[in-house]
Amino acid sequence: MSLQNWLNNGWLTEHRTSSQEITALLAVADRDLADCKTSGLSPDWQLNIAYNAALQTATAALAASGYRAVRDAHHYRVIQSLAHTIKADAGLIALFDQFRKKRNISGYDHAGMISDQEAKEMVNFANRLRQEVEEWLRENHPDLMEE
Amino acid sequence: MQIVAKRGTIVSNMSTIFKTDSLSATLFGKTRRAVLALLYSHVEEPFYLRQIARTAGVGLGAVQRELKKLSEAGIIRRTVRGRQVYYQANPECPVYSELKSLVVKTVGVGDVLRAALVPLADRINVAFLFGSLVRGGERSSSDADVMIVGDVTFAEVVSVLGRAQETVRREINPLVYPPEEFRFKLEADHHFLKKTLEGSKFFLIGDEYELAKLVE
Repeated sequence: MSLQNWLNNGWLTEHRTSSQEITALLAVADRDLADCKTSGLSPDWQLNIAYNAALQTATAALAASGYRAVRDAHHYRVIQSLAHTIKADAGLIALFDQFRKKRNISGYDHAGMISDQEAKEMVNFANRLRQEVEEWLRENHPDLMEE
Repeated sequence: MQIVAKRGTIVSNMSTIFKTDSLSATLFGKTRRAVLALLYSHVEEPFYLRQIARTAGVGLGAVQRELKKLSEAGIIRRTVRGRQVYYQANPECPVYSELKSLVVKTVGVGDVLRAALVPLADRINVAFLFGSLVRGGERSSSDADVMIVGDVTFAEVVSVLGRAQETVRREINPLVYPPEEFRFKLEADHHFLKKTLEGSKFFLIGDEYELAKLVE
């Protein structure tokens, strides 16, 4: 399935992006990547912030490809779209999606269902993805990367 | 075999880590095991013959014979709707809840997860199911919450559990702790961990003794 199929399924809408938008999305990701290193954060919160960074990064790749995910199952679609945008492998996507589920079950009821190690892995993952997406953008959409 | 003085009992050296080919394979024949696994791990769903045979990966004839025996014994319920015959776990069976629990702990989830964790087993101190699935009274949709304490990463665990998730038709939520962090948080009276250790557990790797050793 291609992103065009996703569009036909009503999972995406067409979207015209700009270098300003891409820069802004990556800036949010960078802000979160910096914030999640704040000392004294609970692992739950740290994972949450790093997850947000990764999601914004994936959103930037999707926007650069000309699409935006609809609200329904938004996070899930943005994550899965990495297979079509940066051609991420199934393992990377499965891991990202499992982080999404982990973030969903933590929270008020289940405070503490995230270990320090897992939060750290999420931070590393978000940094890696940020780098990969930037490289992909430079190669495939250099016009969107002009400062 | 080795003697563990502290417990005063003889325990097998081959801990559960290596016994991956399942409790249930010993208890039940292949077809019965597959049928019970499907029907008793999704008790709210009725299934029809072809569906059961396909999921179980067993021939139609063998499944049909098994369904007949299980229905006659009252272990499953056979209902006819229109031209379709459905089979479902029978809540009126006197050992319904015991069977349900047995299936979840063995072929339903336990065996599958235990087998899936084998590649990482030598680096895992303990792994156990906790939460609503082992507390009983679970809905079909209960997630499988798995605590894993060992020198493994979340990424490694997710990669080995990926396929298991499809097999058991449930969400699997792994929670991965390195032994030091686990110990440290328990000493600091971490609320969630304490509550989890006090609650019902079903061990996939290691046992209560291993767990106690870890915390000491």
